[in-house]
Amino acid sequence: MKEKKRLILLVALLSALRLCAQFVVTGNVVSKSNNEPLIGATVVEYGTQTGIDRGTTTDFDGNFELEVSSANAQITISYVGFAEQVIPVNGQSTLKIVLEESGVLIDQVVVVGYGVQKKSDLTGSVATLKGEEIQKIATPNFAQAIQGKIAGVYASPTSGKPGEGAVIRIRGTGTLNNSNPLYVIDGMITYDADFLNPQDIESIEVLKDASAAAIYGSRGANGVIIITTKSGRKNQGGEITFSAFTGTQEPTRYIDLLNGSEFARAFNQLRGNNYYPDPESFGEGTDWQKEVFRTAPLYSAQLGVSGGNEAMSYSLSGNYFSQDGIMKNTSYDRVTVRLNTVFDVKPWLSFGNNAAYSITESQNGPNVVGSAYRMPPLLGVFDDAGNFTDPTFFGLATANPAADQFYKSNNFGKGSSLLGNLYGEIKFLKNFRFRSNFGYDFNKGDSRYFEPKFAVSGSQLNLNDRLSVGSGGNNNWIWEQTLNYNKDFGQHSVGVLLGYTAEERSSYNFGGSRENFPGTADELLYLSSGNDTTQMNSGGASAEALNSLLFRTNYTYASKYLMTVSMRVDKSSRFTEDNRTGYFPSLGLGWNAGMEEFIQNLDIFDRLKFKASIGVLGNQAISNRYPTAALVSNGLYAVFGPGENINQGATVISAFNTDLRWESSRQTDVGLEAGFLDGRLTTEIDWYSRNTYDIIADVPIPQYVGSAANPFVNTASVLNTGWDISLNWREAGTFTYSFGANISPVKNEVLQLAKGKTEIFSAFINGEPATRTVVGAPIGGFYGFKVEGIFQSEEEIASSPRLGNEKPGDIKYADINNDGVVDGDDRVFLGSPIPTLTYGFNFNADWKGIDITADLFGVSGNKVFNQKATARFGVYNWEARVADAWTVDNPSQSEPRVTNGGHNYRVSDRYVEDGSFVRLRNVSLGYTLPNSLTGKLGIGYLRVYVSGTNLWTSQKYSGYTPEFPNSGSTFNVGFDNGSYPIARSIQFGLSTKI
Amino acid sequence: MMMKKLRNISALVVCLLMFQACSEDFLNKKLLGNLTQDTFFMTQDHAIQSVNAIYAKFRSWELAGLPYIGATDVISDDSDKGSTENDALYLKEIDDFLFDATNQTFSTMWTGHYQTIARANLAILNIPNIDMDESLRARLVGEAKFLRAFCYFRMVQWFGEIPIISEPLTEDEYFTQVRQPVAQVYDFIEKDLQDAIASLPEKSKYPASELGRATKGAAKGILAKLYMLEQKYPEALALCEEVISSGEYSLVSQYNTIFTQAQENGVESVFEIGAVALQAAVVGPGASPYNMVQGVRGIPNLGWGFNRPSDDLVASYEPGDPRRQATVIYVGEVLPDGVTIVQDNPDIFNERFNQKAWVPSHPGLQDNGPGNIRLLRYADVLLIAAEAANEAGNSAKALEYVNMIRKRARGNNNFILKDLTITNQAELRTAIRKERRVELAMEQLRWFDLKRWGIQNETLTKVGKTFVNNKHELFPIPQTEVDLTDGGLVQNPGY
Repeated sequence: MKEKKRLILLVALLSALRLCAQFVVTGNVVSKSNNEPLIGATVVEYGTQTGIDRGTTTDFDGNFELEVSSANAQITISYVGFAEQVIPVNGQSTLKIVLEESGVLIDQVVVVGYGVQKKSDLTGSVATLKGEEIQKIATPNFAQAIQGKIAGVYASPTSGKPGEGAVIRIRGTGTLNNSNPLYVIDGMITYDADFLNPQDIESIEVLKDASAAAIYGSRGANGVIIITTKSGRKNQGGEITFSAFTGTQEPTRYIDLLNGSEFARAFNQLRGNNYYPDPESFGEGTDWQKEVFRTAPLYSAQLGVSGGNEAMSYSLSGNYFSQDGIMKNTSYDRVTVRLNTVFDVKPWLSFGNNAAYSITESQNGPNVVGSAYRMPPLLGVFDDAGNFTDPTFFGLATANPAADQFYKSNNFGKGSSLLGNLYGEIKFLKNFRFRSNFGYDFNKGDSRYFEPKFAVSGSQLNLNDRLSVGSGGNNNWIWEQTLNYNKDFGQHSVGVLLGYTAEERSSYNFGGSRENFPGTADELLYLSSGNDTTQMNSGGASAEALNSLLFRTNYTYASKYLMTVSMRVDKSSRFTEDNRTGYFPSLGLGWNAGMEEFIQNLDIFDRLKFKASIGVLGNQAISNRYPTAALVSNGLYAVFGPGENINQGATVISAFNTDLRWESSRQTDVGLEAGFLDGRLTTEIDWYSRNTYDIIADVPIPQYVGSAANPFVNTASVLNTGWDISLNWREAGTFTYSFGANISPVKNEVLQLAKGKTEIFSAFINGEPATRTVVGAPIGGFYGFKVEGIFQSEEEIASSPRLGNEKPGDIKYADINNDGVVDGDDRVFLGSPIPTLTYGFNFNADWKGIDITADLFGVSGNKVFNQKATARFGVYNWEARVADAWTVDNPSQSEPRVTNGGHNYRVSDRYVEDGSFVRLRNVSLGYTLPNSLTGKLGIGYLRVYVSGTNLWTSQKYSGYTPEFPNSGSTFNVGFDNGSYPIARSIQFGLSTKI
Repeated sequence: MMMKKLRNISALVVCLLMFQACSEDFLNKKLLGNLTQDTFFMTQDHAIQSVNAIYAKFRSWELAGLPYIGATDVISDDSDKGSTENDALYLKEIDDFLFDATNQTFSTMWTGHYQTIARANLAILNIPNIDMDESLRARLVGEAKFLRAFCYFRMVQWFGEIPIISEPLTEDEYFTQVRQPVAQVYDFIEKDLQDAIASLPEKSKYPASELGRATKGAAKGILAKLYMLEQKYPEALALCEEVISSGEYSLVSQYNTIFTQAQENGVESVFEIGAVALQAAVVGPGASPYNMVQGVRGIPNLGWGFNRPSDDLVASYEPGDPRRQATVIYVGEVLPDGVTIVQDNPDIFNERFNQKAWVPSHPGLQDNGPGNIRLLRYADVLLIAAEAANEAGNSAKALEYVNMIRKRARGNNNFILKDLTITNQAELRTAIRKERRVELAMEQLRWFDLKRWGIQNETLTKVGKTFVNNKHELFPIPQTEVDLTDGGLVQNPGY
């Protein structure tokens, strides 16, 4: 009885939701000039009546299928370089649409946070990159394809390690620490997207300003990247796609170090005698960099099927990607299977899912960049007896990198991840849409590392073979409820979004090890066969949660005047209850001036829009999930008694700060978008200012406090101001080509430091700070002595201001304050690690099936600190310039005498180098077989191509690359402490469709 | 109407669903797998652990590693840097007096000792509020005060005026500390040691399993040394005699066994830090770097080979003094394990090693140093007593104590190290200082002795170091501290 009642209630509830009639229209879009199908044309029914924008794009044959709100709907068809058409459906289910070239760049529908919007209706700054642009150039990682394509977006490779992606910065470094943008992949929020298969991407949207990103509140301050993966199309027969590429990679460059005879000569100078009587006899010696790096292959193959009928659509793809690292004994293999489906259960009810399951396997050989840089070229890989050469060289403490690669490479990782979302959507009362979305990211990783017994030298040895295994994982989920209301009142159009989200992220890890295995055969390398008296184990876990309320309203009047107001309230578990809640509002205004008669009468602009926005965004900024907790460290054992008993010791060893608050940023954006010359020329110009305040940082505190680590504090306020300017020229026709240029000057300035502090010193090298942050200057500016020259004689030393016990041939540091001595007060600002300008150029051309793409990217105005050259704990190899070191016979004015530490290694501009560079990031040349031929073969489409990555670079920096990842605090940015080189690669590939 | 109702209901359901999850419980995420300050200092065990953590720091790199050896032995005339020529050049700067305020030796000593002090401060502040055994409480606070005083005692001798941090600092106090007059630091140390003397038990009152914890005798010994600095000789003598008459300590009969494992926490031990080589991948839970940094470099490969006993030290022993052999490891020597012979390392010129830091091979290799670090020996107390007695004009007593040391050293060989008979105060002073040097050589005490005696300049200049008067008596305040406090910590003169 009760059951029955429930049933009735349910039926009543469902029938109460008044539903919109649905109608499906299919069509084909061709170009008027040559009747060729237009691939990727946008077909949209704008939600002026229903409040729901529905859109799709045409496929490789120019076909589309779109479900519209009714048989009387109007659809808008647009394609870059062609005149937009608005076509009433009038009950036709099949349409033939012919677009005329006009060059006028037409509106697209773009994905914004928690919805889609017409680009012309946006008040925020959103940039879009289509999947095809990424797939055109074979790339293992989507981030590498972004570089140089979008104004204000900077992507630099994290390292040359296989499987690793890129560090992305949107509009400069806004905070002192974590400046990574937020990723939203099909509605699941993640903090990186390295694992994503780039072949699956439908589009990437970059939300750059407050109006666009404030809806992501406490995590939007660094910008948001929304990635949408490919889904099937309804009412379309199944299609099969296949694409594959293969290529090779090698380091872009090597560091110029001393060769054998140069090193022997420098060593004689260091010793002050002829230790090596005949330096020339050593010739080139060993080039250790060549020993540890290699040319390595990469492959990718992808097979997909997609399609759909009236009630559902599907897209299923499988991808295999394999990459060997340019450093020996490193590799990465990944298999991804993705299934995206949409089910329309009823016209008013739909469900969908996007799910990707991936498994990865990697070999993680040791990183020997540092020891390859240091090893003297006089030593060979093997000694005369055929053993690895003992690298001990006058007490040298480095390790033979080839031996490390040999002995320490039985190190493998395996991972699996399931990432995706599941949603249901109900449309009711004509203008309402309720969506419940559950996003998940469950991943797990295992590691196994076996180090055999070996002895290369007294310090490079392992006397007990050891197996270490570890396991860890993350369970992250988000549950979002959003309610949309869209309605037009005459010329007024209103859209409202209300939402509530809950999110939890947790992780765990554990590991164990044993020693003394009965053998080294793979089947024995499990903990059970090791000696159980040597066993060790460890483990830990962490969790965090976030609760949020969302609100956004869009208002347009006559499509000319636009307004967006949004607010997000976030509550984070990272902060104590008093500081937990953050409010992140934004306001955006826009004016489609191009639609005003008086502008149209000028006959200059095809399109003209002005926009402005302001808002506050947040940043949790730190990787620590418990930044306010006063952790009690244990394992601080005391040993007592003749029995040498271990007594547990524990206490709080690091200072903490329970008052930690959100880091926030106030962002302002003013911009315009314009199109000229029938859409051939388009430009977008934005000026922005981003004031990040309450910046969370672990600022160094005096050591007398007795803290083992620096506590996190809300410390400073930083202002980024800059321009994002992009200019595009596109000419369509038989020969279609486009040029794009984007340029982003940015200025970084510290406005304020924590309570009464006037300066922050950081990045201590040999006891001296290498950065000093002061109000009015960029964050983490390099700081140290200025080299004035080289002391040529004792007399010159005696008569000059000096630091201490200089000898002839030593560096003469400048006496900046002219007080007759060189001391700490003579240290000055030596440049900033933050570029003042980033820019990109891209070129695309298409002629009778031949396509060419090229992307150039550059930065300038930044410096790099060559820290690796300052760290000498033994007689390491020197960089090439030391070949010209000062001697009595070679009175160099720029290169000091050969020393191995001390005076000439003080923090000075000797180690600060120009970080500017220009790089040909991607280039590709492709050929698409004509339809006439592929048609005969029964193939829908076939393109073959060759593409290259990082083929050409112009840089002044002496290291591998000036764009290396920065670890730790933003006070320590730009220090090259032995970064991994990046790879140059060439790929051949094809893609086809049946 | 019906529809409207249903709509309202469904809206309500949705809202409830939303805010159900919004409870604060969902957002109160506890730190997992660790105690925090909120849950610590609650039980007697926590009290014990918080004090154990102070001892643990004495085995750290900062308090037992290379910079520590540099700041005590290498900087003195007892030893040279050692190891290969270019290894650890910052220690070479220390050896040659070519250092400046950025040398990591100073920042490491500063950091390590203040971190130890911070652990002591937390224990001293919090243990009194724990519901626990009263006598244990008093003892633990006494231990913490002793360890804190021990750190300040080193620091004031190295750096002179220093900030006195007696409680955990709050955020607004981080950058505002200033250096306190030496007399004030002395007073602070004396107060801590007096408290420790009052609350700590004698060594024999500890069960064997707790040997190594601070004792009444240890606190008296360190306080006697402080009195020596203040030239309060009668007070120093009185304290030493309390230790001597306590019956808690005696001299080990054979000098060359003092530093063996058998004598860890032995009869001569007044205060030492326990260490053990438990099986571990690299560094075991009870290990210290003390043995590793000073161990033989080459074959047998027991360490890094720093802290080479100097020519001057080797020459300072009386002919036949067996303590020289017990202090210095030479190439070709059979090590105390009776088997291993030290071979010449071609990368080091004329190498020698510190035998007092030698340990036989052990699990986990060199990193896992198992040797207890002797910080106060009974012989040291006797020599302080002798020195104090002589300064106080009591040569008879001075001779009695110093001759106890010589007697033990000579063993059964009556042809060497005859009893001293000098009564002239100045001559006896020289003799006691000489005795103190050879008895306690390579035990990280020499620099403090030279400073107390005010003979740093003449002694160090004699061995070729470029000692500068009114500068090198004190270490420079680490440059980072001066920079971070914006000059609030004023640098020592000359740096």
